[in-house]
Amino acid sequence: MWDAFITFMINVLLYIYNLVGQNFGLAIILFTILVRLIMYPLTARQVKSSKAMQDLQKSKKWQDIQKKYKDDREKLAQKQMEIYQEMGISPFGSCLPLLIQFPIIIGLYQAIIRALAVTPIQLVNLSKHINDGANLIPINSQFLWMELSEPERLQIFGVGVPILAILVVITSYIQTKMVSTSAPGDDGGQGAQMSKAMSLYMPFFMGYLALTFASGLALYFIATNLVTILQYVILGQANFKNLLPNLSSS
Amino acid sequence: MQSLQSRRARPYTITNNQENKLMKKYIIIFITILAFSITASACSGSRLSASGWPGLTTDQDNAYLAAGQHVYAVNLKNGTLRWKYPAEAQNNVTFFGAPALTDDGQLIITGYDSNVYSLNPANGEENWRYERAQDRFIAGALVTPKGIFAASADHNLYAISLEGGELWSPFETDEPIWAPPSTTEAYECIYLASMDHHIYAINIEDGALLWKTEDLGGPIVSKPIIADGTIFASTFANEVLAIDAEDHDVLWRFETQDWAWASPIPDGDQVYASDLSGTFYALDQETGDLAWQIQPGGRIVSASLVTGDKIYFGTDEGSLIVADKNGTIQRNQTVEGELYTSPAANEDLILVAPTGNENLLIAYDENGVKRWDFAPSD
Repeated sequence: MWDAFITFMINVLLYIYNLVGQNFGLAIILFTILVRLIMYPLTARQVKSSKAMQDLQKSKKWQDIQKKYKDDREKLAQKQMEIYQEMGISPFGSCLPLLIQFPIIIGLYQAIIRALAVTPIQLVNLSKHINDGANLIPINSQFLWMELSEPERLQIFGVGVPILAILVVITSYIQTKMVSTSAPGDDGGQGAQMSKAMSLYMPFFMGYLALTFASGLALYFIATNLVTILQYVILGQANFKNLLPNLSSS
Repeated sequence: MQSLQSRRARPYTITNNQENKLMKKYIIIFITILAFSITASACSGSRLSASGWPGLTTDQDNAYLAAGQHVYAVNLKNGTLRWKYPAEAQNNVTFFGAPALTDDGQLIITGYDSNVYSLNPANGEENWRYERAQDRFIAGALVTPKGIFAASADHNLYAISLEGGELWSPFETDEPIWAPPSTTEAYECIYLASMDHHIYAINIEDGALLWKTEDLGGPIVSKPIIADGTIFASTFANEVLAIDAEDHDVLWRFETQDWAWASPIPDGDQVYASDLSGTFYALDQETGDLAWQIQPGGRIVSASLVTGDKIYFGTDEGSLIVADKNGTIQRNQTVEGELYTSPAANEDLILVAPTGNENLLIAYDENGVKRWDFAPSD
């Protein structure tokens, strides 16, 4: 099942690769955009549910019942469910779409990495997945100054600078901050603390992966981050205030 | 007791904080899966990982095996290690091309680190290294009395003197070269198959192009084999071809069921070929007509070994197939791992170098009885 899914993803990726003049870098970017576009209804649903939950939890009615039934969790749950039903909100509405997206994103990543077959065993493995792609072999893995099957370094005055890894850190940071629902000043809850820690560690973790692994992966990370930011902007949920602490505190 | 009951009966409530936590939990799970996924496919994600299969050569006393971070010299009598090169494994230095022995007593090995090395086959000491290539050497080098010829994934064929100097400027093709070059017994011409779909004939003396074939329809990753003035080659366009070595005309084409990866092996009036569907073909050498075919299961990547009246070939399911020249399977022997490397014969031994097996080399007698195996101690 999973193998069939990966095969499908690889063939779509290679179809795009062929369509754009056998440019694998461009194919990765377009493939990422395409997958994210297909997943857009899920993303939109997740964002809207999340926003509705936030609005609900800020409402007077919600806060009143929290206070009123703080010592009776059973009653509190019952009242909460009544409000959910009344407002037409599913408490899992923001989590389920996210869960559905996971295998698609993993599949997207796997397809990119498997298609970058630059050694014999990789090519033998790729041949199991492609239907009629012999004319596409070898995959042209050069994109701009990058060899997409290798970690990227741009030589600047004799020094190898990992431009893509830096871009991954920056875009991951912006993306994490912009989609974060908690404001910088909000350090009260455990969730907010965790969110703060993640927005700090996540970009560096992604940057480390980009630094160490094939630059095709880094390109995918950057494309994903930018598309996610754009989707949040389109949905009107991008939290620009989180990017500039001064703005939010004022 | 009442408190316990009330705790048991407590319905699930979702608060803002809980939902946040739930969300974070999912994100952490996702990152973990992503990290695992990346680690699991690390061999694809970075060029530094090993991703080839062993290259094997023998002389009278030793087998030379290029298998990852070392090249091993193994005593053919008992499978013991004579030496390994380098003594200590180095990051980013791996060897998979079949080592080649020169007439003047050198062992030539090619590396994924883009270098060609000359070793002393007696003790594994390095004589010299050639460091001009820009990308990995997938295949082993061709050695002749006139020089050493090594094809690189950087699209170039390098002509190296037996002392490690350069004979002539690299000969460039349009795509990476994975196939080892070949030549005739007269050593006049180098035949080079490239992933750019062409076979080139190159003057061995000065590197000048003598001719190149038409576009053969697909990449060629295995060595073109020359016999009686005919070049036999396999392509990813699901074809085995015979080409006139003089005027490069295509004499015949045989359509396979899948990519034809392994070199066709001419023997008598037949040619033995295979493809990734796992079909093994015997073709008429003159016409390309199918004489017989067998499909024992698994994919066939390596060329067959023809010795005496038997044909040996391996599959990626770890089957060592022994067939007679009429296409009757005489033995289907299971070896742990994948058999991507062509079997080799030495006197009464049949040597196989599996991938994915702790034993890098296994020696069988002609009845399939294991005589010894070799597993490195490190």
